[in-house]
Amino acid sequence: MTKQFPIDILSQVQKPARYTGGEFGSIIKTAEDTKVSIVLAFPDVYEVGMSYLGFKILYHILNKEEGVAAERVYAPWVDMEAKMRENALPLTSQETGKTLRDFDFVGFTLQYELSYTNILNMLDLGQIPLFSKERTDEDPFVIAGGPCVYNPEPLADFVDFFIIGEGEEIIVELMDAYKQWQSEGLPGGRSEFLQRVVRIDGIYVPSFYDVEYLPDGKVAKVKANNPMAPAVVKKRVVKDMNTISFPTAPIVPFGEIVHDRIMLEVFRGCTRGCRFCHAGMVYRPVRERKPELLKQLARELVDNTGYNEISLVSLSTADYSCLAPLIHDLITELKEEKVSISLPSLRVDSFSVDLAKEVQAVRKSGLTFAPEAGSQRMRNVINKGVTEEDLMNAVGAAFESGWSTVKLYFMIGLPGETDEDILAIAELAKAVQYKYFQVTGHRGAKVTVSVSSFVPKPYTPFQWKGQDTIEEIRRKQMLLKDALKVKNITYQYHDSVTSVIEGVFARGDRRLGKALYLAWQRGAKFDGWSEHFSYSRWLEAISDCGLDKAFYANRDRDIDEIFPWEHIQPAVSRAFLWNEYQKSLREELTEDCRHGKCSGCGVCPNLDVKIIDWKEQGHDEAKN
Amino acid sequence: MKLRIKITKDAGIRFISHLEYVRTIERAIRRAKLPVAYSEGFNPHMKFSLASALGVGVTSEAEFVEIELAEEIDLPSTMIKLAVNLPTGIRILAADLADTKADKLMAQAGGADYKVVVPCREDCNWQAAVDRFNEAESVLFQKPIPKGRGMTKEIEVKSFIDHLEAERAGDNLQLTFSCKITPTGSMKAAELLLVLRDSFELPLLVEKADILRTDLYAVDKDGKKMPLLKPEYIA
Ligand code: SF4
Repeated sequence: MTKQFPIDILSQVQKPARYTGGEFGSIIKTAEDTKVSIVLAFPDVYEVGMSYLGFKILYHILNKEEGVAAERVYAPWVDMEAKMRENALPLTSQETGKTLRDFDFVGFTLQYELSYTNILNMLDLGQIPLFSKERTDEDPFVIAGGPCVYNPEPLADFVDFFIIGEGEEIIVELMDAYKQWQSEGLPGGRSEFLQRVVRIDGIYVPSFYDVEYLPDGKVAKVKANNPMAPAVVKKRVVKDMNTISFPTAPIVPFGEIVHDRIMLEVFRGCTRGCRFCHAGMVYRPVRERKPELLKQLARELVDNTGYNEISLVSLSTADYSCLAPLIHDLITELKEEKVSISLPSLRVDSFSVDLAKEVQAVRKSGLTFAPEAGSQRMRNVINKGVTEEDLMNAVGAAFESGWSTVKLYFMIGLPGETDEDILAIAELAKAVQYKYFQVTGHRGAKVTVSVSSFVPKPYTPFQWKGQDTIEEIRRKQMLLKDALKVKNITYQYHDSVTSVIEGVFARGDRRLGKALYLAWQRGAKFDGWSEHFSYSRWLEAISDCGLDKAFYANRDRDIDEIFPWEHIQPAVSRAFLWNEYQKSLREELTEDCRHGKCSGCGVCPNLDVKIIDWKEQGHDEAKN
Repeated sequence: MKLRIKITKDAGIRFISHLEYVRTIERAIRRAKLPVAYSEGFNPHMKFSLASALGVGVTSEAEFVEIELAEEIDLPSTMIKLAVNLPTGIRILAADLADTKADKLMAQAGGADYKVVVPCREDCNWQAAVDRFNEAESVLFQKPIPKGRGMTKEIEVKSFIDHLEAERAGDNLQLTFSCKITPTGSMKAAELLLVLRDSFELPLLVEKADILRTDLYAVDKDGKKMPLLKPEYIA
């Protein structure tokens, strides 16, 4: 049934099962059942792409629709790509072995900026013209969604249209629009279809907008050049997570993938308001699923997949209002079936440690906490409402429960950071070590300090802030390295050249499309994999286009600068973000609107949605 | 009670590894809710095993799974439940029930039959090469040691594969042969192809070989093939 690559090619590449499909739960529709075909394209390798919950959800929702066939494709690893190019074999879908060019839609997800070159590479391997304007009626529509769509501008030349926000509902509306157009005989070709879809809320057609620039390179204005195009495209959001369908029979891969377990999404959104956090701003507001529904979904997922682990996922699962009873009930129900529960992240408090104790009764691997910054001052700047006392309580509880290995996550390069703030990271790590001695009377706690460098993102309070230069980051890394030459403390960091390019694209504009194309032509791909990333290639590509990396990455912006992304809206207001930025300079905290008062971010009134927290709202389910 | 099942590894999934194949069957067993026995201890694992490991890229019509049960089962209905929970690419061919103390299939397996279709240049004298192999007293092969970083061990090919049948089918040569499995090891079909190419000047395109294991069986003391399962359930 499935067209496969020849034996000699498959036997000469690493992990050939990446390319052969046939997994349990994959859906293959017949040609008669396929009126509209879409391939969900993940711009990274199979093991990464198969772990992405968003595509599991869309695969399920799309294939439930009559006449719609959704398939999958991943970026071939470099060894496979070489074989494909050598033998002139195109990139094809996992399900039916169809070339990307022959689909009606190719839908990419934008998870991280450094995957953009893979998008171009996959289009090229799939025999689709890279530039939207070069595509004809024979070509598919190239569409994209995911978290990076809140600044899609660097991809404006390559993507026909973007889906802004949560995809569950809009993707079905899009399929219906296509079926309608198809039933009329595809009148007017591609351009007519774009005119139709632009009327769907949440669809952004970049070619319907012109960008004018000031002499200094900043944006002068973004203006629609099509009467149908809205001035601002607002994100789509699912109002109630209890009313939309969640996949309970996902594909179960043969090989081990990055997250090889059941992923059960307990809620969406996070309102803690960490000022560096893109996800926290663009996925607002918090909307929880009911505990009863989650238990039912868990039951079905276990039955349908045969997995023996359920990960309760969300942006911060420890904040789920009914977490302790939920975990208790799940463990009770599934213990006999040898199914364990896991939490992807812990909050910095002893409550989280107690939960970890319950779910990982056996596995005493290390616990991970993310204080994010070393000094209290800096944690106030980023609105991470965690104190040293919280951390000491958390690690103290962990040490008392028998853990002796702790990993701490930090960021450096945060706005207003001084050398004292950097050194405070080392002090905190040592204090954690000492806590172990206090609790157990022994020395020898293993502490890992993992440090990443901060990249300012659009639609966060730090969107106005310049990123530290690479030289400054390196200096800070060395400073910390010297301060952490302590027995049993491991310091993890990596050279931050990738974060420079990430920073350029995160707040980039359309002109960067040229640099992206040039870098791809010169061999850039898998930029998220350090062994394939070439900093010099990127710098040259950017400067060869007459652009300046510092303009995008390292420049502080003024209060009134127009950003290239402001016609796409996650509905968090600019005034709120600016106010948060000012508060950060004053080291003032803003409380979590989930429990405290509304901080006026604008999302709820703008999108006519509200927070759904089962305990706060006194729902019966929460009381058991 | 032990449940023993004969299954396939079809062409569509030939490139999944042995470990992936094992994990896939384990998950299918869980989906089908077979009453499997688990080991004791902190990390209980399912008591099941495969009779022999198949090389990546090889298809098979004779893989054997052996599962220790915690409860009695009805064989036909259980097999139907399991069948729907296996991915396409793994089919159930037969099954039986045996005493828990019966010898493990892994220990019983004495030989495997193969059919290989491999591209081979037209203008070669393949028959002569095959005859020479069949008549040879001894054929030695440097077998790579698993995880041995390039180290090899010399093995006697003829002690595993004594005789080959060959016929031409278009551009391909079709080879059929039996390969012994001994307590100290066996030999892979792909390795035989290397021997034929390198020591018998057969111009085989071994990378394109389509290898199928057609049977796996016990061998009695007279050297006769004995089926591993009793004919209790045939799909
Ligand atoms: S509008 Fe208010 S309540 Fe709603 S997410 Fe924003 S801050 Fe929270």
